Amino acid sequence: MQQVAEDYWIFAVACLVIAIVLLRLLLREQITLQGSMSFLAFLVVLGLMAVFPGTTSRIAHAAGFTLMSNFFFCTAIAALAILHLRALVILSRIHLRSIALTQELALLQEKLDRVSTRPTNEKPPTPLHGSPKSADDAS
Amino acid sequence: MRVLIVVPAFNEAAALGGLLAEIRALTLADTELATVVVDDGSRDRTAEISRAHSVRTLVLCGNLGIGGAVQSGLRLAAREHFDFAVQIDGDGQHPPGELARLLDAARAEPRPDLLVGTRYRVEGDNYRSTLLRRLGSGWLKLVLRLVAGVRVSDPTSGFRLYGPRALRLFEATYPYDFPEPESLAIARKHGLRITETPVAMRERQGGSSSIAGLATLYYMLKVTIAIVLSYTRARRDAEDDDATGG
Repeated sequence: MQQVAEDYWIFAVACLVIAIVLLRLLLREQITLQGSMSFLAFLVVLGLMAVFPGTTSRIAHAAGFTLMSNFFFCTAIAALAILHLRALVILSRIHLRSIALTQELALLQEKLDRVSTRPTNEKPPTPLHGSPKSADDAS
Repeated sequence: MRVLIVVPAFNEAAALGGLLAEIRALTLADTELATVVVDDGSRDRTAEISRAHSVRTLVLCGNLGIGGAVQSGLRLAAREHFDFAVQIDGDGQHPPGELARLLDAARAEPRPDLLVGTRYRVEGDNYRSTLLRRLGSGWLKLVLRLVAGVRVSDPTSGFRLYGPRALRLFEATYPYDFPEPESLAIARKHGLRITETPVAMRERQGGSSSIAGLATLYYMLKVTIAIVLSYTRARRDAEDDDATGG
């Protein structure tokens, strides 16, 4: 057990270093806690696997792995795939929001331009072929 | 009848001036026309030219693609309670003179919610698209027919008229990449009445198409998947609405 633990301490240190980098980024508010929770959770799991290789070995054999390094490798790949999928979901959501915001910004800017160029005692200008009846005007 | 002409434009400075002049020259009986140019993050003088023609101009701060640009115009039309919105592409492919045909067809009973101008059913001389485009159009026609039961001869046509129901639907949901065929599947799934009418089209008056070479294959694959997904998603939404009584 002692021998096995010595074999994997580098992996545990690597997890610790990545966790420290992640915490630094969190403290500097360069990433959000909500977005990085799953990453931290995977680091903890992988770190525990390296620190307690006896238990990990039993789990690996039960899962059909003969070499524990293969189990580590597969777990790390699976974790990265899940994290990537999660990032993709968040990115897609942000993309859709940014499209909606870009459109709203353009609509508001156009409205502002029309209001700011309209003389105070005059009706709205005719854009082309007649004036539009806006929701505001209608009310 | 109040109609908003939506002109999506991305780097269309070469064609836009002429197009807007043609639109200005339009006179249609019993129709109050307004125009909005949606500048989709152009790097040329598109917005400047649009404003020089005293046309309402929506300037998107980034390039959203044709779907995002069109949806911006449709949102404006829905919010300002226009009766119809007509999409006329900023590259000049859609002659504004054909607008009368679309509006005539839109007045026919039963009234369509989404009217597609088709380039393939005009008698006499007409703009003939490339073989690749016709093949692609044929494939999308088949997919739309099999998946969504939509029968249109020109599924990639952007020369369209949107009625009030279509405006309400697309204000909330409109595809962003290569949106024309996909939007037909969405419209059908939401129970909109889709019809088509022949219109003349012409070569683009400036700029270049974003769909060429290998991009054509990507376009076909992406749109095919998108049609299936959109139709499935829309069906699920409709079932949810039924379940909640909405």
